[in-house]
Amino acid sequence: MLSPYRVLDLTTERGLLCGQLLGDLGADVIKVETPGGDAARRLGPFYQDVPHPDRSLFWWAYNRNKRSITLDLSSLEGQPLLHQLVAKSDFLIESDTPGALAARGLGYDELAAINPALVYVSITPFGQTGPKAGYADSDLIILAAGGPLVLTGDDDRPPLRVSVPQGYLHASAEAAVAALIAHHERQRSGLGQHVDVSAQQAVMQATQSFCLAAPCNESEVERMSGGAKVGDLVVQLVWPTQDGYVAILFLFGPAIGPFTRRLMEWMHAEGFCDTATRDKDWIGLLTQLLTGQEPLSEYDRLKRLVGEFIITKSKAELTREALARGLLIAPITTIGEVADSEQLAERDYWHLLDHPELGRSFRYPGPFAKFSRTPITYRHRPPTAGEHNDAVYRDELGLSAEKIATLQGRGVI
Amino acid sequence: MAHALPLAGVHIVDLMWVIAGPSATRVLADYGATVVRIESTRHLDTARTIGPFQDGSPGPENSGLFQNVNAGKLGLTLDMASDAGREIFLDLVRWADVVTESFSPQVMRSLGLAYDTLQQVKPDLIMLSTCLMGQTGPMANFAGFGNLAAAISGFFSLTRWPDRAPAGPFSAYTDYVSPRFTAMAILAALDHRHRTGEGQYIDQSQVESALHFLGPALLDYTVNDREQTLAGNRDPHMAPHGVYAAAGDDRWVALAVQTEEQWKALCGVMQQPELARNPRFATLTSRLAHQDELDAIITDWTRTREALDLETILQEHDIAASVVQRLYDLYDDPQLQHRGHFVPREHPLHGTITVENSRFILSRTPAWIGRTAPTLGRDNHEVLGTILGYSAERIAALEAQGVLQ
Repeated sequence: MLSPYRVLDLTTERGLLCGQLLGDLGADVIKVETPGGDAARRLGPFYQDVPHPDRSLFWWAYNRNKRSITLDLSSLEGQPLLHQLVAKSDFLIESDTPGALAARGLGYDELAAINPALVYVSITPFGQTGPKAGYADSDLIILAAGGPLVLTGDDDRPPLRVSVPQGYLHASAEAAVAALIAHHERQRSGLGQHVDVSAQQAVMQATQSFCLAAPCNESEVERMSGGAKVGDLVVQLVWPTQDGYVAILFLFGPAIGPFTRRLMEWMHAEGFCDTATRDKDWIGLLTQLLTGQEPLSEYDRLKRLVGEFIITKSKAELTREALARGLLIAPITTIGEVADSEQLAERDYWHLLDHPELGRSFRYPGPFAKFSRTPITYRHRPPTAGEHNDAVYRDELGLSAEKIATLQGRGVI
Repeated sequence: MAHALPLAGVHIVDLMWVIAGPSATRVLADYGATVVRIESTRHLDTARTIGPFQDGSPGPENSGLFQNVNAGKLGLTLDMASDAGREIFLDLVRWADVVTESFSPQVMRSLGLAYDTLQQVKPDLIMLSTCLMGQTGPMANFAGFGNLAAAISGFFSLTRWPDRAPAGPFSAYTDYVSPRFTAMAILAALDHRHRTGEGQYIDQSQVESALHFLGPALLDYTVNDREQTLAGNRDPHMAPHGVYAAAGDDRWVALAVQTEEQWKALCGVMQQPELARNPRFATLTSRLAHQDELDAIITDWTRTREALDLETILQEHDIAASVVQRLYDLYDDPQLQHRGHFVPREHPLHGTITVENSRFILSRTPAWIGRTAPTLGRDNHEVLGTILGYSAERIAALEAQGVLQ
């Protein structure tokens, strides 16, 4: 889809996903790495646990569908090469500290002077300006500053993050959307612009709009293991089974009530609740609980009944019955179970990418959506550092083999 | 607003509901797309039943969530199952560049409104269907919400203390991840159509999109055959790294020490310079090996201090730290204020309501939230009269027939 367009990807480990997504959508993405390879190649886990720049699974996860060149952006000889590439590119993505690239003569204003149509995307923790723009940051800091962290974890322990860092992925995916919106504008105006993505604002999406609690004059939601406290209502989402856990949305109201009724019918058939309980008003119960018409102890009683039923079942049986009966129950899967999922296999989700440098193929998460006319293709496995130096410097910029050798000798590329 | 918005002239007929889908079209509306949200008064959008509510009072026009994810859109209430409703919908398809829907698979087909039908009406139509598991496969009809998709895609098992049951990320996690993929899919398909005149059908599984946020863990399994060990708040590349108790009830500071310089600076800030010389903490490897001890030392220092004071002094020394902001803190956050993140708008029922702004800023053509989310049926006349050119008599007749509900 985006095959006519070129992306220069200058991002650090914060922003790598953005270029990969544009690459998935067809753009020619050139990862510009520091000579010797980007620092992100040092992040584990590693293939066979051998730390090596070409074996970082962190790198693999966020760099397919990119080509790689190496270039010393600080050197006097390196900058003109970048300028030449900028003149031939449609997007530039970077995730340095605000002002860092500008200090090296590579800020938006400098590069827009070379290519006014350039869409220049900056991914930063807090945005380009403001009182926290210069803050030191990490995944955990972003989640703390943006709201998701306080909502996650057990109520008797500190707030908890997801073990796979999430903060900058929200920002990077947001940045891909932002880049394409600016691109649509460029189709009309012929002009690029500076896209300023704040990771803090991006992760606020994960508060499910409860970040508006204060202006709504509403009470705060509070974290609870496997659920959440909404006012006095303690919603339990995680339930133990015979052999692990399932998630059950055991709630009421117009949308969820019919599902809950079907669960209670099943429980009734197996003798886990009486007829009066089965026949409660599952549509109206939510309002009744919220207004005090039904005491919250009734909700606790119902949750106890459900718990006593669920513990007698296996994850597989619950999943099967959820599909057959139309219940809001899903297994809590391990990563291994996800990788072995029948659903994903049936949809041909996984994609084998050949790594000739290691003499093996590996199974990658597949296209994020299925396009009927322009399917996402995986054209490049994650590149080794500088793998496409010749192709880019010789074929695209017209540098001679001697010139390339000289630049290599001086450590510029 | 002095500029033409980037997506001005893009027409979207939006049948998506609850959180994931509408969050995607909200972004497109922010940047100028005309989005017509079709709703049913008989089968209310679940988002209208989810808080936060204005003044804590539940009600279909009071949901801050609904108002937030639908700001900037037009609202049409329509009985799609009626013949007249179907005709109106097809007229909107003729007007549209993009049709989006997030029902369970089969719903559009059972309504006789699958892509092949719509394409006959509008040959270059882009249609996107988004649901939990995708349109095909043995679990295609698995119904549910984003919290179930988060469970089934592995996020819950990766969000827990090693000695406890899975805590899970807050609520419906894939609903916050997948909207970006929805929006970029639409934008890329629009670009393709702009260049080639070709529309297409897009089948988005929210699980398949969200798995791109678990890449390293999935590869660790498919490549190394290893389930990632659970880390709580720990990180293999940083120590100390965690969330530490501050003074007050449920007040915490997040801290991430990334370099040796930061570690020495932290020891200095804590006025314990001897720690930096202690061989148990002298290198990242040794600190990772003694994290319990390290965390206890840091907690002794943090627990008597205000979280904001800790953030301030640590950041003054270039150490990554932040108050674990509570929801009410966000509204007062000076950085978010600087970014204009909270946007007040006049509302016919509530005086003023507040929604979130775009999560990014375009320097030349920033977002503009042109109207609040629709109250039920608010824009029926604008959609049918102004967009479709129906006469006032025809609209009145449709109203009388009960089609517009």
